[in-house]
Amino acid sequence: MTVPSVELICPAGTPAALQAAVDAGADAVYLGFRDETNARNFPGLNFSRPELAAGIAYAHARGAKVLVAINTFPRAGKPEIWHRAVDDAAKLGADAVILADIGLCDYARRTHPDLRLHLSVQASASSAEAIKFYHQAFGIRRAVLPRVLTVPEIAALCADVPIEMEVFVFGGLCVMAEGRCSLSSYATGHSPNIDGACSPASHVRYVEKGSKVVSQLGDFTINSFGQGEAAGYPTLCKGRFSANGKLSYLFEEPTSLNTLEILPDLIGAGVTAFKIEGRQRGRAYVGSVVSAFRQAVDAILKGEKLPVMTLEDVTEGGRQTAGAYQRSWR
Amino acid sequence: MLSDSTEQVSRPVDPPFSPVLLAGLLLAPVPPRLLQPLFDGILTVVRRRHPDILERLAAYPDAVIGIDPVDLPFVLVLEPWPESPHLEVRRDFSGLSPSAIIRGPLAMLFALAEGRIDGDSAFFSRQLVFEGDTEVVLALRNAIDGAGIDLQADFATTLGPLARPLMQAVDFGGRVFNRIADDMETIRVALLGPALRGAVAQSSRLEEVENELAEMRRTLRAREKRG
Repeated sequence: MTVPSVELICPAGTPAALQAAVDAGADAVYLGFRDETNARNFPGLNFSRPELAAGIAYAHARGAKVLVAINTFPRAGKPEIWHRAVDDAAKLGADAVILADIGLCDYARRTHPDLRLHLSVQASASSAEAIKFYHQAFGIRRAVLPRVLTVPEIAALCADVPIEMEVFVFGGLCVMAEGRCSLSSYATGHSPNIDGACSPASHVRYVEKGSKVVSQLGDFTINSFGQGEAAGYPTLCKGRFSANGKLSYLFEEPTSLNTLEILPDLIGAGVTAFKIEGRQRGRAYVGSVVSAFRQAVDAILKGEKLPVMTLEDVTEGGRQTAGAYQRSWR
Repeated sequence: MLSDSTEQVSRPVDPPFSPVLLAGLLLAPVPPRLLQPLFDGILTVVRRRHPDILERLAAYPDAVIGIDPVDLPFVLVLEPWPESPHLEVRRDFSGLSPSAIIRGPLAMLFALAEGRIDGDSAFFSRQLVFEGDTEVVLALRNAIDGAGIDLQADFATTLGPLARPLMQAVDFGGRVFNRIADDMETIRVALLGPALRGAVAQSSRLEEVENELAEMRRTLRAREKRG
């Protein structure tokens, strides 16, 4: 029996995080340029061109790949910085670019025919028809699946499409249609899908009110955390609102995805690559999560029992879920 | 900008019962200006060894960031201005309007600076709090985390032949610190253990009552719908 191989794809928001990921056993690191061409365009984060060149050298010297996320949608009539990002990623020796916009897919395919193209989760391609289209039209070699599918649905997709499938295995969850969500745009006037930042920090405020911390996004109060209560990110989809006289998380509680226990099922479904979310997190997060998943994947591929590991300390709100992969709420 | 009244807000992070807290009590009578050379030295070393920090903060040329180690009787004010950065030690933030204030125990702030703990996790667990301009705080966190600071190694490079004996002294001091911290934790648990157990029991009971109440409400709503 052939042992399937699975790549561990790890986040890096800074050169130090890239080194932490590679040192902890990443097969590949994904990252972005320091501008709105990627969906983690946060202050002080991401890579300059010289930093990317150094990062690629560091990773390649240790057998790891570097994937460059250029996964926002170019402004109408102003695609230049997105084109330059693709050109520079190719010139600097990136192993693949991760794209969402069909215009950019077309540009990359025509301009750099040898550059490996991955389809970003931002493209929201969750059907065999959509994925086959991207493959046939632009030569996409791998698709990152939205976090809305069950394991059996992923298995059916893997059997039906001719390219590699990548799924998220840990980190923040996006409950909306990725690449199409407008909640943050509504609250701030800045689009995550074009400007690259959901709930941009420039519009976020944390205010101490007595023993509580109140989080605000633009003119909206998102949440209020009492003393000893774990806090979460200030996104509208994770806000606590009053409806029918009851205060609750209407869309999603502050929770992180953690699939450690179902990794064997995902491998069995035919998934080729496991992605860890968190380019906005620090190198301590990257090191600990990558190390845990490296151990888990190696154990599974050797046919050994999964080691017992806890990642609760680095989860949002101190809580974890297998999310849509299991749909335990149904 | 934060208002001048921010220093009036009670510190929302409780200082941990640690050797730093005791050291803070001893340092209370010391005028901040006597500590200033130490922080000038830290800034000089970090600036020389990690110029990329200021480069990542270049978009915030006027930022003034308050850093409040909640277990010490003084605060720091960081002006990460590209041409003339400044790290000032003060008694409090009175008379200032920092863009943002970050509060947490000293050991946690050092661990964050060295990337040994994740800033988001510290924030989720409320051991670290901040207020004011979130963008500046995030930029600072990312710039420092991304620089790969190792304070001990950074200082060792500046000490020349004195590095080895001084680093050995620092190692020894660290071991003593950890031992005292462990002993203090034992004392804390001994003193607070019974009270904490009582609080946990009360919390469990409260949760049971809340669940019962929720169940009664559901039953009531179901009856109302049927009726």
